[in-house]
Amino acid sequence: MPGYAYILVSLALFFIGTAGVLLRRNALFVLMSLELQLAAGSLALLAFSRGLGDEKGHVVAFFVMALAAAEAAVGLAIVVSVYRTRKKIDLDGVNELRN
Amino acid sequence: MLSHLFLIPLLPLLGAAYLALFGPRHSRAVVQTLACLTVFAAFVISADAFFFALPKVVHEGGLSEIVYSWFSAGTVDVDLALRMDALSGLMCLVVTFVGALIHLYSAGYMAHDEDYARFFAYMNLFCGAMLTLVLGDSLPVLFIGWEGVGLSSYLLIGFWYKESANASAGKKAFITNRIGDFGFLIGIFLLFRATGRLDIPAILDAARTGQALAAPLWLDLPVAFWAGLFLFLGAAGKSAQIPLYVWLPDAMAGPTPVSALIHAATMVTAGVYLVARMSAVYLAAPAALAVVAVIGALTALFAAIIGLAQNDFKRVLAYSTVSQLGFMFVGVGTANFAGGIFHLFTHAFFKAGLFLCAGSVMHAMSGSGDITQMGGLGKRLPWTTRVFQICWLAICGVPIFSGFFSKDAILGGAFATQAFGHGLAWVGPCVGAVLLLAALGTAFYMSRLYFLVFTGPCRASEEVEHHIHESPVSMVFPLVVLAAGALLSGLVGLPPALRELFGRPGESTLAVWLEPAVGAPLAVSHTLEWIGMGASTLIAVGGIALAYVFFGGGYRAPAHSLAAGWPRLAGLVRDKFRIDEIYALLIVRPLATACRLLFFFVDRILIDKILIGIWVFVADLGGRICRFVQVGDVQRYLAVFAIGLTALLWIAARPTAPDEVNISVDNSTVQIKLVDSQARGGALTYSFDFDGDLVPDRQGATPSATWMYSGPGRYTARVIIEDPRWHTRRTLVREIEIKP
Amino acid sequence: MSVMASAPSLLAQIAFWVLAAGTLGFALLTITRKSAVAALMALVGSFCAVAGLYATLSAHFLAVLQVLVYAGAIMVLFIFAVMIMSRDETQPVALRGLFLRAAGVLAAGYLFYRVAWIVALEREAEVLSRSTVYPIPGFGTVASVGRLLFHDFLFPFEAVSILLLVAVVGGVLLARPFRPGGGAS
Repeated sequence: MPGYAYILVSLALFFIGTAGVLLRRNALFVLMSLELQLAAGSLALLAFSRGLGDEKGHVVAFFVMALAAAEAAVGLAIVVSVYRTRKKIDLDGVNELRN
Repeated sequence: MLSHLFLIPLLPLLGAAYLALFGPRHSRAVVQTLACLTVFAAFVISADAFFFALPKVVHEGGLSEIVYSWFSAGTVDVDLALRMDALSGLMCLVVTFVGALIHLYSAGYMAHDEDYARFFAYMNLFCGAMLTLVLGDSLPVLFIGWEGVGLSSYLLIGFWYKESANASAGKKAFITNRIGDFGFLIGIFLLFRATGRLDIPAILDAARTGQALAAPLWLDLPVAFWAGLFLFLGAAGKSAQIPLYVWLPDAMAGPTPVSALIHAATMVTAGVYLVARMSAVYLAAPAALAVVAVIGALTALFAAIIGLAQNDFKRVLAYSTVSQLGFMFVGVGTANFAGGIFHLFTHAFFKAGLFLCAGSVMHAMSGSGDITQMGGLGKRLPWTTRVFQICWLAICGVPIFSGFFSKDAILGGAFATQAFGHGLAWVGPCVGAVLLLAALGTAFYMSRLYFLVFTGPCRASEEVEHHIHESPVSMVFPLVVLAAGALLSGLVGLPPALRELFGRPGESTLAVWLEPAVGAPLAVSHTLEWIGMGASTLIAVGGIALAYVFFGGGYRAPAHSLAAGWPRLAGLVRDKFRIDEIYALLIVRPLATACRLLFFFVDRILIDKILIGIWVFVADLGGRICRFVQVGDVQRYLAVFAIGLTALLWIAARPTAPDEVNISVDNSTVQIKLVDSQARGGALTYSFDFDGDLVPDRQGATPSATWMYSGPGRYTARVIIEDPRWHTRRTLVREIEIKP
Repeated sequence: MSVMASAPSLLAQIAFWVLAAGTLGFALLTITRKSAVAALMALVGSFCAVAGLYATLSAHFLAVLQVLVYAGAIMVLFIFAVMIMSRDETQPVALRGLFLRAAGVLAAGYLFYRVAWIVALEREAEVLSRSTVYPIPGFGTVASVGRLLFHDFLFPFEAVSILLLVAVVGGVLLARPFRPGGGAS
């Protein structure tokens, strides 16, 4: 399929991820949506990489994957920590950075 | 040898600075030595200059020196210029000589005081400032000295500041002085405005020769008059004349040496000095001279009246000083400058002597100055008494003593003066008559003082009487020197009538000496002089005799019956005619109320509530807004992020404006062409609306269009550049005018 | 060297459509589920579809990695977390500031729509119109990507491994229970 199709898929996927990040209340869902966004980004990278015939895009996507893993680990650790004190992981009251 | 004038004021100033900073570390011996030494050194340098260097150049304006160039502003250059001419040289000598003596006296008098070093620092400061005043050759320099002595006076009056009465007295002196200073400054401004110069020789020249000072200013009176008047206001403040004399009696709250030096011999004479210095200005405006003379005479009489009902030793002397200053002002006010300065000279000696005697007496009376509790001190304080007698006779104007000659000079001058024009010729004799009365009063109250304090039985309590003792040598020695001066200083001013008797015809030594500075001395006929001398003697003796009747040897029957007969009058006089109270009512209270009102309205309401309140409100509002935004909720932040990003990109993706919009009008045909220097990437569509109806008239992908208008007028043309990819657009609006 | 973009074969087209539908569909499911476990399963499905898309892009190495790392390791991590902590959502969408967030979503949507429009307009561009890759053998294989990683991108590669170490340590530290008065090491 021509490259632009993949770009459009990537856009749509990113949008879905954005909606999830902004709208869901549960922190875990937010993290999941974040992963969607990252995946969308990688997809676009690979599409252009094929279009240019250059594997550097693959390398970048590789790094994105590694980073996503690290971020997921740390993010989940934080969520666990928050859960311990609050016994829930809703983002409602998590506004200590207020004012 | 010591040929630099600037050392004269500088040495005491340096002494003051050193003593202020390091004085407390040194022993009393060191402090007093240093203080006395600086003033004495200033005296030596002054004397050296006065007797050796000055006579050679006294007719060319004396010794002058520019220490450094101070500032120049616009058209005027002001230098720190000093000049010792005939007048200022004499003043220098008086200030440094009497100053040195009083420093010596203070060493003994203040020996038990804690703030020894501070006292001498202030005293040195005073001497330095006074010398600056006297030697100053330009009005700003003089003014520096003027302010400096005012400051020192304040510091010294309120020296024992822990008593609030003393501090108040200091404040009163300073504030009253300030009012005078205001006048002084206005005078300076007027002189500058008229002559464009601030240095005294130039101003005096302009007064003597040019038209500048004769030009009318307000009410058709010349500049010289107004300048003289305002300068006299300053002089009245400094020299305690009506209406600004009220601070001097209160200033007696300071230590006695201060009263002697500042409020008798030197600072208060600065006003007289000023008028004498600016003699040419006053001569150019006889009306101003008349004002000076009249006020001087009135003050002399008024103060004498108050003085004869006072019960505090120093207060009597204070009012006496005010009265004698009045005499001096009559002298200069009748253009008898030499006479006025002569009285200044003799007065310095005998008044300082009187004050130091007061110090001696109060020292003996364990600090009290109440003459109702004194008496019979003549036997117990021999040296003091003898000095007092000499000075007393001098001030009464008994012949041979110096005061006789100087008062006589003034009286003679008042009757003989030609300074006033036809309209004001009555001023001289009137003033003279008033002075005669004042002289009678002087003799009376000073004799009262003498009799009540030194003669008769002692009215003090047992305990106080027990402690009466003569003062130590360090205090007696200056007394003796001053008494000698009171006795002998009249010799330099012997009038021509007497000089003829002694085979040295001509004007008095002093008048001749002062001529280069103040002009020719007043010519008084010999007849008038003899009449004057006779009248003065009569008045002096009469006053003393009258006082003897009332107070010889203590309070006598006539005194009691007089006081009993007119109790209200007596009370009024004793209360100094309640002038202070009147001032308080008329001036101080309204000012205080105004201040309170101002404080309430301006400070509390305007500034605190409104001006500050506004900013508080703004800051609070800003804070509220920020708090509203910063909810700590990440998702909301991200939402704003997304919205902002979209908006930014939307704006950024607008088509760029073209480099040029060419509008060419040809009759009714208009062509609009958009020119870009670089080629645009991507296809843009252009739509042109020529007639302002917001409906596109031409559309397409070409950046130019043509249109023909139906008629003349102003049209608003719009060009909309659209980028179809982003659906963004940019609108250009232009006005097109079609001429008929 | 001129390249002719050859039209994709029918199989390729069907594969793309199926995989694309799967990706987006599962993604939608993920964000709309009430149950976290269900959402996670949907996410796994989405990732597997994405891996397939990668494969059609000749990104073979990455396709495999996607399955191994993403759908495998990361999702397992999530499942553990979900199992420890989560109850089913009673109210999936938070109410506070909903308006603002919805507006944000709409703005983002508009933005993506605009970008998509441009992409559609520019679809004839060289880089976007290719449907096959150069006839370079081994494009996107383990060997060729690995060669890049170990030669040109060695430093970032090593840096990322340190990053992962940091993330591991950090994660462990952050997730420890808080013990007042110490608890070092």
